[in-house]
Amino acid sequence: MQRQLSISELNKGSNFVHAKGEVAFPYYMGIRSLADIATRDDRVCVLNITGGESSTVTPISHAYSGGNIVCGTMPGRSGTVLNTPIGAIPVYHNILEAMEAGHRFNVAVVYVPPSGVRDSVIEAVRVNPELKKVVILTEKVPVSHSRVIRQYCQQRGVDLFGANCLGIADAHHKVRIGGALGGTNPEESLVPGSIAIFSNSGNFTTTIATYLLTAGWGSTVSVSSGKDIYIHFAAPEFVYALHHDDRSKGAVMYIEPGGYYEKDLVIQKPVVACVVGRWKAKLTRACGHAGAIAGSGDNALSKEEWFMEKFGVKGIFTPETPICSARGAVVTNIAHIPQAMTAVMMMNGIKSDFEPRGNLALKPWFGNNHGLCLPPELDMPIVEAIAPYNEQIALLKRQVGISFPRQSMKDTSGASRMDSATQVSQIHGISILDAATRSFEENLVLSLIREYPDANGRGMVNVILNGYVNQSGSIGLAAADAAREAHSSPNVVLSAALALVGPKEVESAKKAVQIFVDLFAHAGLEDPAQVDFDCTAQLEQLTSNASMRDTLVVMEKPSKRSRALMAALEERGSQSVFLELLRLLAKKSSAAISEHAIVAAIACHLAWKPLMHKRLSVNTILNLPWHLRIFSTLVGVSVSAERQPDKKVFCGKDVSELMESWSFSETAFMALMDHRPDSNELFAFSVLLGLIITNGPGTISAQGAKGAVSADGPEVPGRVQVNKGYIGFLTHTGYAHGGNGFEAIQFLLECFRDGGLTDPGNKSHGLDLEALAVAKAKEYKSYKVRAKSAGELDYAKLPCINHPVFKGKDVNYDPREVFVGELFAQRGEYNVFQEFYHHLVKALFKVGVSTNVYCVNVDAVIAVILLKMLWKPFRSGQISEQSMEAAAFTTFLFGRMIGSAAEIDDHTNRGRNMDTRTAASLCGYAG
Amino acid sequence: MQITGMNWGAKLLKYVGFPTATVLGPEASKEEIQALIDRFGGVLIKPIFKGGIGKKGKAGLIGRATDVVTALKEKERLYFAEHRHGNQYAKSEGVTFESFVRAEHEIYFSLTDSTLFRAPTVTITHHGGMDIEELSPDQIAVVPFDALTGFKGFIVSNALMKMGAPGEIISPLVQHLPKLWDLFHHYGMTTLELNPIRMSSEGGRLTPIACDFKCAFDTDDPNWHRLDLPDDLDQSSLSKFETEVNQLRTYQGQSDVFVINERGTITAMTFGGGANALVTELLGDAATISSDFGGNPPYQKMLDISRITYQYWLKQSNVLFIIGGKANNTDIYETFRAMADALRAYFSTHGPTPLFVVIGRGGPNLVRGLGYMQDTLDALGLPYRVFGYDSAMSEVVNYAQAADEWMSKGGRAEVARKLGIHA
Repeated sequence: MQRQLSISELNKGSNFVHAKGEVAFPYYMGIRSLADIATRDDRVCVLNITGGESSTVTPISHAYSGGNIVCGTMPGRSGTVLNTPIGAIPVYHNILEAMEAGHRFNVAVVYVPPSGVRDSVIEAVRVNPELKKVVILTEKVPVSHSRVIRQYCQQRGVDLFGANCLGIADAHHKVRIGGALGGTNPEESLVPGSIAIFSNSGNFTTTIATYLLTAGWGSTVSVSSGKDIYIHFAAPEFVYALHHDDRSKGAVMYIEPGGYYEKDLVIQKPVVACVVGRWKAKLTRACGHAGAIAGSGDNALSKEEWFMEKFGVKGIFTPETPICSARGAVVTNIAHIPQAMTAVMMMNGIKSDFEPRGNLALKPWFGNNHGLCLPPELDMPIVEAIAPYNEQIALLKRQVGISFPRQSMKDTSGASRMDSATQVSQIHGISILDAATRSFEENLVLSLIREYPDANGRGMVNVILNGYVNQSGSIGLAAADAAREAHSSPNVVLSAALALVGPKEVESAKKAVQIFVDLFAHAGLEDPAQVDFDCTAQLEQLTSNASMRDTLVVMEKPSKRSRALMAALEERGSQSVFLELLRLLAKKSSAAISEHAIVAAIACHLAWKPLMHKRLSVNTILNLPWHLRIFSTLVGVSVSAERQPDKKVFCGKDVSELMESWSFSETAFMALMDHRPDSNELFAFSVLLGLIITNGPGTISAQGAKGAVSADGPEVPGRVQVNKGYIGFLTHTGYAHGGNGFEAIQFLLECFRDGGLTDPGNKSHGLDLEALAVAKAKEYKSYKVRAKSAGELDYAKLPCINHPVFKGKDVNYDPREVFVGELFAQRGEYNVFQEFYHHLVKALFKVGVSTNVYCVNVDAVIAVILLKMLWKPFRSGQISEQSMEAAAFTTFLFGRMIGSAAEIDDHTNRGRNMDTRTAASLCGYAG
Repeated sequence: MQITGMNWGAKLLKYVGFPTATVLGPEASKEEIQALIDRFGGVLIKPIFKGGIGKKGKAGLIGRATDVVTALKEKERLYFAEHRHGNQYAKSEGVTFESFVRAEHEIYFSLTDSTLFRAPTVTITHHGGMDIEELSPDQIAVVPFDALTGFKGFIVSNALMKMGAPGEIISPLVQHLPKLWDLFHHYGMTTLELNPIRMSSEGGRLTPIACDFKCAFDTDDPNWHRLDLPDDLDQSSLSKFETEVNQLRTYQGQSDVFVINERGTITAMTFGGGANALVTELLGDAATISSDFGGNPPYQKMLDISRITYQYWLKQSNVLFIIGGKANNTDIYETFRAMADALRAYFSTHGPTPLFVVIGRGGPNLVRGLGYMQDTLDALGLPYRVFGYDSAMSEVVNYAQAADEWMSKGGRAEVARKLGIHA
């Protein structure tokens, strides 16, 4: 007759079905000894092997473990491989395919995203009857999935590790399975010794191993348990296997609050238990580890007490109060583990594994007081870092500028981004709304230097950009004019000229930049505006090296441009160490400063601080003269040859006057409007250009620029043709992208053509805008009805109203339009076209075209600003509708040139060769 | 996310057809309350607390009424009642009116995951009406069961039988309790507690009626979103900052934050669950937040996290503290580049703020990452010390505390002077 179960027996889990394992457990546990946890015989299949984390970690694990990974899976990637330092690992669609290919393995390592973990584990266990261990690295696996995973593995006799762990490692076997214990250099932390490590924290598993070295303790096995609610290989399993591992003389257990895993442990070897997280008793939800949230009985204090009772100690071990027994010690600070371990082991007569390696005292590797008088406890001197970091730091100090890691930059940018929620783009972290309050030349500098120039820098950049704006007699201008004659669009016109601004044009300036960088990179020059910087050493170097000297100065008569540039810099009071050095060199060598050296000096001046602070690469500063030349050229060739009849005159103005007193914004305005702007016009023009700078890396113009760079192969950055990058941008603009701003102008012209409007900036214009808007709305409504009844679904839409994001409210606003509106309102400026647009959206609602009041979008802002500028010359017949269209398009090109410059430079610095291509498998066929 | 009380409990139990007391919300009219009293003989008036706070009864926060006037008086008393239990504090946002359920038997029932059995586990006793902690072990059944087959009637039947429960309650409980598995397992719960379940004899047959409700959802389980619960159900405990950072919770990289002290002066960007536990403990109330940003967050995510953290906490902080152990997989260069860029952006949009920066870290691409931060801090003119992973983390925490002390005793003003701003 069957024996009757008592309630307490029932409570031990009699309804629970599991495979037969170690008999000490009321559930399945198949690991007898820690020595069996990660062995040289284990063969591994990694699920999601080519995913982000695995593709970095797996090759290191594979090489460290002597090639224990036989295969990996990744749906859709069958036939590919994951390369590792000791050979490639084949990748299959799924486990069945891998097994059919003949692979045999007993361990599955799971890197699958959380929602797929449960199914992946079931697949691995069901398809491979030889599977004995599963290590789950994935974080945020739902508890409901963990329940099922565990039960399934229990029934099938499979040991689970994790989830949310960093795997397991055995320093003696030199094997790590799953995860990144020991980081990129496992040997550095996983030094063979006699201590087993069990840790709820993945990071601390490695950190504790490293700390133990300082007391001469190495490790046997490191188990990163994870700290989800379900810890599958937990403290009871670890302690049981510890007892059966002869190599492990003791252990460290790092434990956090939450769960009763440690309560009933009976530990037979010396253990240092580190319990951290008393403060977590205050938590009402998990912060950090998902399972580290405690009830009343499993908080950190309770756990400290559990261990103290096991060890027979009455307090926490600290260096000041070294309370411990031969059974163990409890610490609450991981830094006390090494000392506690030594103390406990001494009581057992066990000596450390080797001589202590290093110590845990404070050792600042970097620091700077910035001239502050710090108290002695804070004013710690910088010490040399341990090897190999000391060599890396020395190298870093020698390195000039930043060296970006290369990656695929397709649809990715390190220069621009668009916030999809606000639709406001940023360039180098600056919102285009803020950029719109800066000048054209400031934004051009920002695009490459990542910061705005100060007044001194602005002066210099205006000299250099205006100094090269005149294109008279150049083949480029001839090409541009020819393209204009052929009725090519403005972007094609500018492209024609740019093809001629090849690398040879700036070769000497680039060489001069390199000389400046070599001379000053390690000279301690922080601010190039400090003209009292002692350049004696640099001057001597130059005078003793003819090749360097002859790049910067010329023995013959200086060129006219060189003289004009220097005169303009003098006039503006420009201060720069680089210019000063050129003056000294010219004087000492009785020579004249070369034109290219001036360009280089200005480029270096602008870029020096960010270069020294490693925000820029050397490549960027070397290409800077090229970009500057292109900026001048693009503005220069937008003006026909007849308006720049010789080298002295540009749009009727003396070029030296431009260099000495004009901003480049003014020159660009004049190139389009043929007069010097007043302050209101200049402000409006700058706002306009600022708003156009970028819409993120996905826009067609950015894609064109990036594609052009990618095709040249940025991995050898010297090969990238910067001018071709701009041609890429220009060819990726057109009547639909860039030229489309004119649609709104045409619409407004149509509305205002016959109204007798003379000054769009005058509020007393005498027009009834509301009536005009209602009439236009009615007209549009009847057009729409007609078009719809005729079955014409792609009927014309009114330009610049409504927006896919800023919609759905009773009255809608595009915050960018509001921002710009306020900007002008603050200056007391009025724009009749903008006001009309606001009447129009209300009228459309009123007459029933729209169900709510649409927003006036940011494109309207661009149109109304432009039209306001062009209205008077248009009304007076000075410019035709066609030239108005060209001016609108060219304005767009000037603004977008800023963003494109940033993309070209960014892609050159970070991109891979041909990284913008689309894989054939992702391409469609519509034939 | 936790829910207590029958206001939402009754709605959730309806999904699986589990009987509940009749519940009216705070908007109930006099007539509706009167009808409830007429039908059931009385009502309980309970405050509605957001989140998972318990022990309302013991705190005298449950009103009883057998007439409308008393019910409305109790409503007035409890409508904005404040309740503190352990570390939790809650303020009521309305009341429920719940029908009396006359019964001879009270049941305690809960479903949760046991860390002892590492399985879903039912806790049940028919000795209801008192705190579960006060019962002796043989009066409670704590029974793990198979997650693959789920919670079955025989588990209830065996448990109640072994405890010697009255025969008449077993069958109705066997019939109704297994329904709760569906709610628990398939809607992403980690705890479901009904206490008490009262065995009503209305209609001639005993029926279990849930009279109070408590549950906790698993944040990482998307299934509970199927319940379409309002967003603000448990938002009372989340600050604006926490809500904003929580929106960045994605698969790769942690973004856990918890506000420790709104007037703290050390803002710690902590990497790793272990470092989070250790550093927060050592910093105590000096910390503004407790955080875990480990798990190799990509640049973009780290940039957003840093931007939000700086925006909320930098102005008041004396020390920006970046701390973690020797990372296994987190790319130090990418994470430090993001934190440095966000710091630079903060200074450029909000202007400089006096800070002492203390850093302790190890891991892949360490020197490149530290170097990038060094260049940024030099450019911003902030004093700093950067420690490698060979300095004890707790010592680095001590250093950060010393920096905080110096800053609060005049250092902040000195740094401000250097930056050309007011402290």
